[in-house]
Amino acid sequence: MPNNKVSTMFFDLNVKGSSFEDNLILAKQASRYGWEHINFSYNQKDFLNALNFKKELIQELEEDISIDYTLEIKSNNINEIRKIANKFRNKSSCISVAGGDLKVNRASLENIKIDVLSRPYLRRYDSGINHVLSKEAVKNNVAIELCFKDVLKSYLAHRAKVIANFKDIYTLYRKYDFPLVLSSGAESIFDIKTTHDFIAFFKQTGLSDLEISNSFNVSSNILEFNKNRDEMILKGVRRIKDGS
Amino acid sequence: MGLKVLPPTLRKNNRYLTVDIKSVHPMGKDEFVSVVWDACVRFQGEIESSNFNLWVMRFYELEKCDGYYNYKSIVRCQRGYDEEVRSSLALVNRYKNDKISISTIGLSGTINASHRFI
Repeated sequence: MPNNKVSTMFFDLNVKGSSFEDNLILAKQASRYGWEHINFSYNQKDFLNALNFKKELIQELEEDISIDYTLEIKSNNINEIRKIANKFRNKSSCISVAGGDLKVNRASLENIKIDVLSRPYLRRYDSGINHVLSKEAVKNNVAIELCFKDVLKSYLAHRAKVIANFKDIYTLYRKYDFPLVLSSGAESIFDIKTTHDFIAFFKQTGLSDLEISNSFNVSSNILEFNKNRDEMILKGVRRIKDGS
Repeated sequence: MGLKVLPPTLRKNNRYLTVDIKSVHPMGKDEFVSVVWDACVRFQGEIESSNFNLWVMRFYELEKCDGYYNYKSIVRCQRGYDEEVRSSLALVNRYKNDKISISTIGLSGTINASHRFI
């Protein structure tokens, strides 16, 4: 019988970054729980300060886990989002935009320089995504991120509504096949779960093993794509260095 | 006199989850039992939780570190429902208005085997 199991690297693109010491504790806990790569997310105000201790952090965690930074843009002004994305594009391995506002959701999914639209359902009564936005996500290769924290921190009716929004996004994902990213959104060591727990939760909400595995691959591909972004001339055309 | 023990073919098959508990508020075994049941009934509902055959087999207190109490426990559930139980436990967030985190760090078929995760 052939072995159909896909080997997965466990990537988390959204762990809330703070000081050097706190990041160290979070990263070591994540490593103990089976994660292989985490991205600390900072908003546009804190991102540059955090870059000061990035190298030190990477060196300190070299044997445990690989880390990087995500820029999480928090703004309701679509022009400001565009400007910030352009400004930080070369400094950040991943740019995500905190969603929730319909205009922000749309502007993010239409911008090819943005990697991830984070939590489009935030503070809404619906999922924040429809068939039009799904097509835009596919066209511009912008991933949609679902955050485990939103379920963890809510309870009863509100938790049920968040899970219902997840399920609406799964329906669109199955039809349009846009990139989907699952992340923990952990703020402290109390929010970090083992990779198996993380997978078990998303399986309970209705995702299959393959879909979950694909979401980790999407995270990995985003980081890989952004490493070579400077060499990209057109979509699908990359300048390669001569090996000789 | 108790009931006669069922023959092996009629017995339920169990799985043992080793869980790591971090809690700001101190807790005992009885309190942990109610946390486990509450988590499962809340997330999976009463009718689904009735299939789990839940039982807290062991409860270990470890050293307190970095401002939280650390415990480990072995929780029994029925084979085939381990993912339902571990996802329910992962969603426990608050205990007596303080932070708590429950993560499943091991899954075994016997209690003896689950001791290697402690």
